[in-house]
Amino acid sequence: MNIQEYISSGIVESYVLGLASPEERVEFESLCVQYPELVAARTEFELALEKQLLRDAAVAPRDLKQTVMNLVNDQSSINQTKIITMTSSNANRGSSSLRWVAAASVILFLGFGFLAYKYYSEAEDLRRENDARVVDQQVKDSTFNQLALENKLMKELMDNPNVAAVNMVPTTPGKPSASIYWDSTSSNVYMVVKNMPKLPSDKQYQLWALIDNKPKDLGLFDVGDKKVILKMNNTQKADAFAITIENRGNTGGPNLQQLQNMGKAKL
Amino acid sequence: MFILTNYLNPSTNKYSEQELVTMLQQRNGQSFSYLYDNYAGALFGIIKGIIPDEEVVRDVLQEVFVNIWKKIELYDATKGRLFTWMMNVARNAAIDKLRSRSYQDSLKNRAIPENVDISMPGAVVTQQGDDVGLKKVLTRLKEEHRVLIDLSYFQGYTHEEIAKALNIPLGTVKTRIRSALMQLRNMIQ
Repeated sequence: MNIQEYISSGIVESYVLGLASPEERVEFESLCVQYPELVAARTEFELALEKQLLRDAAVAPRDLKQTVMNLVNDQSSINQTKIITMTSSNANRGSSSLRWVAAASVILFLGFGFLAYKYYSEAEDLRRENDARVVDQQVKDSTFNQLALENKLMKELMDNPNVAAVNMVPTTPGKPSASIYWDSTSSNVYMVVKNMPKLPSDKQYQLWALIDNKPKDLGLFDVGDKKVILKMNNTQKADAFAITIENRGNTGGPNLQQLQNMGKAKL
Repeated sequence: MFILTNYLNPSTNKYSEQELVTMLQQRNGQSFSYLYDNYAGALFGIIKGIIPDEEVVRDVLQEVFVNIWKKIELYDATKGRLFTWMMNVARNAAIDKLRSRSYQDSLKNRAIPENVDISMPGAVVTQQGDDVGLKKVLTRLKEEHRVLIDLSYFQGYTHEEIAKALNIPLGTVKTRIRSALMQLRNMIQ
């Protein structure tokens, strides 16, 4: 890969302005990981663009700021009001399937690809060049697809007005929290976890949806060092979301003494 | 609870990109006020370049800012600067609005001005002298390049759609757009 040629091809500008195709985006982002000069070129263009657009910017309507700040204030007070009380009886259990959609799964995919390759090459006496390339490509394709899916998901969560963001508030002020992205039309629930403390090995976090004051299990999860986005169990309804600390593999209701975060969904 | 009145006056503090992002993620109202003061104008300009109706532009800008506040966790600093992310959020929202059924229906009920090409749905009337930001910079491009950037950036058409509408090869569309973007880089450097 001639990175200088790539940098001068217009792809940097295309990417920054949002004109690149999904495939081009994944390629660009993967190359950014490998080539700091590409990141530098991207930042340089971003700064120049920002400077240009801020220089003779239109003036946004003054009265709009008040409206926006009011709406934002409303959002914050929704979370601070303790209207919902959880009862631990009749916990509604769905399946605890958990699908990771982020760095973790990319690593898993790479791991799988590598294992398959190793097994393949050991099973054969003579390794043919062609075959090795085919497996390599399959590994590349699966990583590529994973990254493309991730990008698609992030864009969907951001741009789709049916996806509501519920920002969880920690029960102990100052402790890290999580955000829920809930698609009311598809019932999909995604959660962004950042900086939540790791638990001892016999404990796990659990996400709940509160519906008519009754908790519904949306899945158990562990946290790592990186910011990740997790796909949780679906729910068509939710008045609020809550995170508790439970024993690993909990099959009962929520431990209310260990409520960590809570967020009220917009009505 | 935030004390609203404090945030109506532009902040005199300057925040670094990193500070701003951290504060926004902590739901700090002051940082959000700063964000509006410094960036609402530029985002307004982008949305204006896409949607001609001022009332609708206001609605979209409002939605965009609230959306940025609510979904700030989705911003990934490894993929670019905060402003780039906000620009793209604003552009996507504007194009979605432009192509929405409700907006398209509202256009049908209006008289179409002469200088609009009605063969392309969502066609925008460009008013000279009214351009700000990116659109203003782009007026310096050669016409054949400017049209392509206008169609892809401001109207959200894919390369395929443009090739079909203008009856030129797909490869030519891509090459010309890339060429236009490289010129753009030189113009703003």
